[in-house]
Amino acid sequence: MDELGGARKYISLATIYGFAALLLAICGFPLLWMVMTTLKPDSEIITAEPTLWTSAPHLEHYVRLFEQTNFLTYFKNSVLVAGSATLLSIFVATLAGYGITRFRFRGRENIAGMMLFTYMFAPIMIIVPFFILMRGYGLVNNHFGLVLAYTTFSLPFCMWLLRSFFQSIPLELEEAAMTDGASRLQAVVYVIVPLALPGVIAVSIFSFIVAWNDYIFTRTLINSDELKTLPVGVNDLVNATVIDWGMILAGGVVITIPALIFFIAVQRYLIAGWGAGAVKG
Amino acid sequence: MSATAPLRNRTLSAEELARRERKIPEHYWGYILLAPAVLLVMALILYPVVYSFWLSFHSKHAYLPITKFIGFENFRRLFFESEDFWRSIELGAIYAFGSVTLQLVLGVSAALLLNQTFIGRTFIRGVTLFPYMVPTVVVVILFRWLFNDQFGFFPYMLDLLGMDRDAFLWVSPDHVMLTVILISTWTFFPFVVIGTLARLQTIDPELYAAAKVDGAGVFRRFIHVTLPQLASVLFVIVLLRFIFMFTKFDVIWLLTGASGLGYFVRTLPIYTFTVTFNQLQVGAGAALSVIMFLLLAAFAFVYFKLFKREENL
Repeated sequence: MDELGGARKYISLATIYGFAALLLAICGFPLLWMVMTTLKPDSEIITAEPTLWTSAPHLEHYVRLFEQTNFLTYFKNSVLVAGSATLLSIFVATLAGYGITRFRFRGRENIAGMMLFTYMFAPIMIIVPFFILMRGYGLVNNHFGLVLAYTTFSLPFCMWLLRSFFQSIPLELEEAAMTDGASRLQAVVYVIVPLALPGVIAVSIFSFIVAWNDYIFTRTLINSDELKTLPVGVNDLVNATVIDWGMILAGGVVITIPALIFFIAVQRYLIAGWGAGAVKG
Repeated sequence: MSATAPLRNRTLSAEELARRERKIPEHYWGYILLAPAVLLVMALILYPVVYSFWLSFHSKHAYLPITKFIGFENFRRLFFESEDFWRSIELGAIYAFGSVTLQLVLGVSAALLLNQTFIGRTFIRGVTLFPYMVPTVVVVILFRWLFNDQFGFFPYMLDLLGMDRDAFLWVSPDHVMLTVILISTWTFFPFVVIGTLARLQTIDPELYAAAKVDGAGVFRRFIHVTLPQLASVLFVIVLLRFIFMFTKFDVIWLLTGASGLGYFVRTLPIYTFTVTFNQLQVGAGAALSVIMFLLLAAFAFVYFKLFKREENL
């Protein structure tokens, strides 16, 4: 009996590791292939029989990317725009998330419902009027227009997520701080925000990724090359003349790194944070 | 305690702040704090939707300054005179249905795996979420490379398996829909993993213990314990994924653009973009946006019904 149980345990362990290896291959292999391609000399890239490892690894594609294209400009633009949008989203969503959980007022439920509804909107549904509107405000070909677009598009989800975080923090904590002589602002800054930090971090990831990855807003709102963000800039490199795969994939690696670093740094908050949001929002 | 200690030393400013706060009645604070968020969403999302409705009843060219009211003419033309429109609905449904099904299968399997205890779980979980973090433009470029018919990895694999590599061209009229579905599945299935895993972790272990005592094996425990617990969350995930995939623009556009190949994956969002920015028919484009909006509203209605029920649980 015991031996049978032991064998069964080994079989189930083998199944688990088998599936784990498969999952790792599905998710990791394409990314590994991309990184390895950028390190190969062109002769090993342009071949019908590619190998994973390279005989002569080098960084020439990265050098070419930074020296011969406007990549660095796109990179700076992306950092500026995504960074600003993230900060603005955190600020606006925190105010809103706190306000909607701590004060009773008419229309509160309607606002929450509206946020949930707009979360499902895709940019393509409003891109035309959005463009006309931005043109009216003189925000076409302007980074501020992009920041507004990204902030607004990530807001519904951010607010929804922070709402659930603030809801889980007992009111008594603030009240205790306030009876101890703290103002409401102090209670919020010193007591509530630290407790809601995982939510704030999840929100920052989400809004950063929205801004960092966006293609369609930049495509429609920005027309001068020196204002383009990475996704549009790099995609235009693909469409230009002969495709220099090594260099373009190097661009892909460089764009992906900030998103991954950001993600790894805050990964432990993610399952809790997104669980609350992705399931309910 | 340590958090409140430094505050006491500043009682004066605290009192002052409290006094200032008292000037404004409590419930106004709700409006004040929500104002920035609500104004942004109303001005930049809801107002454009209303604007789309208005435009959809007009004939408008992108550059010419003529705007003429034509009632339901845009809709009539789309519904009764445009084969492209119905085709885009059909292709959109195929794309959404195909990619959501695959995302669900892969995502739920991965979540069930990651809910087990094994060495390296945290690492695998991290890597599983990677594809969702990679910017769409990179995903598309990367797969264009992997599927490249001359130098790509996948055609080479066909070679190694002894098949004719030119017999199956991934980015060709016959297979581009499949390719786009596979790429979308790869990058979006982690969404399903996150939602499912969060729910799995809240299932009471005692339910499994009880089922085990009753003699239920792994498979029956999954059918009788896990699945019923997951049902409502999976419904929400499928609904959301379907909405997101049906309105997905960038994956398809970046892979095919407006090129000849694009014709074979011209879903509703792609068709909308083409009509507006290539054919410059802003009125007709707006009518397509309105149709998309109404479809979304129908889905959202179902979602809200379900969501209400979930919240009451």
